Order: sequence, then structure tokens, then C-alpha cells
Amino acid sequence: MSMKKNYVVETIRKAQMLELLNRGKRVDERALDQHREITVQTGVIQKANGSAIVTLGDSQVLAGVKIATGAPFPDTPDKGLLVVNAEILPLASPYAEPGPPSEEAIELARVVDRGIRESEMVDLHKLCIVEGKTVYTVFVDVNIMNVDGNLFDATSYAVVCALRTAKMKKYAIENDKVVMKDEETPVPVEKTPVSVTLARFGDKLVVDPNGEEEGAMDMRITITTDDDGNVCASQKGEASTITPAQVLEAADTSIRIGREIRAQLVEATKS
Amino acid sequence: MPMVQRKQVIPGDVIATGNHRYGSYIEKRGDEYVALRIGLAEVGPDGVKLNPLTGPYLPRAEDQVIGKVVDINGFGWVVDINSCFDGFLPASFVFGREFSPATHDLSSKFKVGDVIGARIESFDRSRDPQLSIRGEGYGKFPEGEIIKMSPTKVPRLIGRRGAMVNFISERTGCDVKVGQNGVVVIVGPPEGMAKATAVVKMIDQGTHGADLMGKVEEYLGGSSVAGA
Repeated sequence: MSMKKNYVVETIRKAQMLELLNRGKRVDERALDQHREITVQTGVIQKANGSAIVTLGDSQVLAGVKIATGAPFPDTPDKGLLVVNAEILPLASPYAEPGPPSEEAIELARVVDRGIRESEMVDLHKLCIVEGKTVYTVFVDVNIMNVDGNLFDATSYAVVCALRTAKMKKYAIENDKVVMKDEETPVPVEKTPVSVTLARFGDKLVVDPNGEEEGAMDMRITITTDDDGNVCASQKGEASTITPAQVLEAADTSIRIGREIRAQLVEATKS
Repeated sequence: MPMVQRKQVIPGDVIATGNHRYGSYIEKRGDEYVALRIGLAEVGPDGVKLNPLTGPYLPRAEDQVIGKVVDINGFGWVVDINSCFDGFLPASFVFGREFSPATHDLSSKFKVGDVIGARIESFDRSRDPQLSIRGEGYGKFPEGEIIKMSPTKVPRLIGRRGAMVNFISERTGCDVKVGQNGVVVIVGPPEGMAKATAVVKMIDQGTHGADLMGKVEEYLGGSSVAGA
């Protein structure tokens, strides 16, 4: 049996897609700047400090947060650790294989990590316990449970929701030793970054491409914005190019759509 | 005419006992014939049969299928036929006996992503099904709308001796090509295509009992594009 590498979109289907786009429509009847329905479930893993299952259309992502203590990096002695890791489960898609994280999964984790980090969502200074010695380490592990395009945004929302609801143990310093207490405190979340991915087809940009659209798009751009509408991270993918005007258009759309999504994520993770 | 008994079964149900010939999705345990799928079981003079209500497409020789080219290698095209098996269309079936990988460019005939109609030449489960495009109506579909439906609903879309599919074609003015594997390609005027697509989806989703034809007729109503 031959190995399937990627989803191949039928030529006639692609032609139909482009034809529809020229009339301002999409194959799944969404508007160009409309994202698929987002659902959020938090606290799904009891043993994790925080967790969330997010669905974006048929894409489904599970994020879990584990918070422990450890030594800081030597160059940032006063900051806690925050690491995002992603894996695509073999059951999630016919094209996913078991084994170490694929290139796509690594890019996914890095793009999501960058959005969280550069927006300064979590105040890493507040995760410092003893400078240079002990800090909180926050590991966010993401499992992709179903793939139907735009994993960047689905994963980002799952990580944001898991972090917003995560609780960590309080600590006390007794005889120069860090002792963890039973009481819990929320992770110091300052902002809610929202990532919005757009796919380019010719001169059209569409928000939140589904699996089929991802198979046919020319390129994609992921832009993460914070509560104040600042762009804090972005990533371009696929071989094709994008014009400066389109980048600005993408940023504007991302800020606008991001606002709606942020409101929903905040609402879903209210304590 | 001998009576054919039909009944709905779920996996594990005993369809019949005794000595019969039996088809796919049925297992013989002792002298009991046990259903392996949800479906409609038939006990008739030809033996015990089970038409599953759900399930993937399992290739059979002589089936007409519609697939998409997903890969090209030196000897032919790998075709996704909406099944757990990939179809393989050998280049020698297309270019003839004198085919040589050195002189023939396979992608000049079919490219990755092309949708083709083909016939299953042979399939024995030990190898991927082999396809052929020899004959009328096979080969690349240059345009049209592609719809995937449940392969088990294909007989309903085709209807008795093609009655249903002909009716839809006639009323919508579209050419409706149906692959046994549940892939449908519709070509025709835009408004007809939208209607035909909706009908195909309706048949796919529906658990309509009798008189599916009546429902389709009602849906397509007097708004015949072909002026029928």
C-alpha cells in the first residue's frame, strides 16, 4: 500500500473553490472572514493543573498544563519556564504517523508557543520563586485529536484556555528551602493572545481554512494579536508569496476577528 | 415467484439456519448464518445475502468507480477510490503494450489531483485493486462538481435499472456520473448542479423507506431545467 503524504484536493474541486471565491463564497458556505464554530471545554483532565478541549469545526485539540518547579535558564534567572509541545495523534488523520513529532507538529508547537510568549500572556517574572535557583516550570502538552485544517488556531485557543484555567501550588520558603503548599493559585495570566490564520487563494484571503482549503491554498499566514490589538507574532507558511498590502489586510482582519474570538475564549474560561 | 424475505439485522443476529449459499458480511457458525453488519438481510432462492447500511467501499471486479489521482510512479497512477485500498492504474493499460517509462510521460495523461472514471479490472485483497480506463465513458473528468456519499447508498441513487439517476439528469439537465465507490460527479448548468447536488445529498443522508422516487420528484418538482 502506498504511503499517503498529504491530502490531495481534486483539480475540479479546486477549480470550483476558486470559482466560488471569485463570487465571495466558500465551499462550506462561510463568508471569507468567517471562522468555523469554536467550542471550549475546560478542566477535562483531572490530574493536570489545567486542561482544555477545543474544537474548531472538525479540528479537535486537547491541551494539558503541568506545572512543577525547576531551575531557570541561566540567561533568564528571574523568569519561569514556559514550554509548548504538540503531537498529532495517528488517529487524528489518515496522514499522521506514529513516532516522534513531525515537522508540522514542531512548527505548530513553535508558532503557538511564540504567540503565547511574545504576547506576554503569562507573566514569567511572577513564576520566579528564588532568583537563579527555583522557578515554576509550565509545560503545555498538546494532542491533536482530529485534523480538519487550521491546527494553528485550534491549538492556540486550546493552550490559551488551558492556561487561563490552570492552577498552580502556592509555595513557602522555610529554612531557605522552597516548600509547596496545598493551596492553589491561578497562573498569572495577563493577556489573552488570539491567533488567526488566513489562507491566500490568488488575491483572496480567507480566515480559518478547513482541511480541504488548506490542501488547495497558495499560502497561509498566522497572526497573533493581544487584547490591545497589537500584533505580537506571525508566521507565513507554504511556498507561495504575499504582498505587503495583503499582509496589512491580514493583520487588520486578524485584529478584528481576534476580538470576537477573544471574547468567546474569555467567556468560556471565566472562573 | 419465490418469496424473498427481508429483515433488518444487527451484527450477531442469526439470519437463517440450514444450508444456504451466503454472501459478504455473513459468517457461518455451525449451521447458523450470522450477520456481521447492520443492514438488510435477504433469504431467497439464491441464498443468504446482506446489504449493509453503512461501511466503506470494498472494491469488486467490474465495478465502475470514480477516483482521484494521488500519486504517480514509474509504472502507473495511484488512485484514491474512496476505499481502504488505493486503486492502481498501470501505465500499460493507458499507453498500450509499447509503454516504456523512458519514452512516455505519465503526467501528460493524468496529473495528481485529476478525477478519473475507471473500472476495477481485478481485485483479490492480496494486492491493491487494479484499474482500467478501457471502454466508453472512462478517463479524466475535466469539470464538474464532486460529491462523496456513502457507498452503501449508491444503489438507491442509481435506482432500478438507473431510473433514479436518469430522472435526476433529466429534471436538472445535468450529467450525473455515479461511481460504485460513492463518488459522484455532476456536470451541467449551475442551477441544475445545485439541485442535483442537493438531491444526491438528500439520498445520502435519508433513511427514507419506500417511495424515495416520490420524494425526489417532489423536491425537483415542476422546476425542471430541462423543460421536462
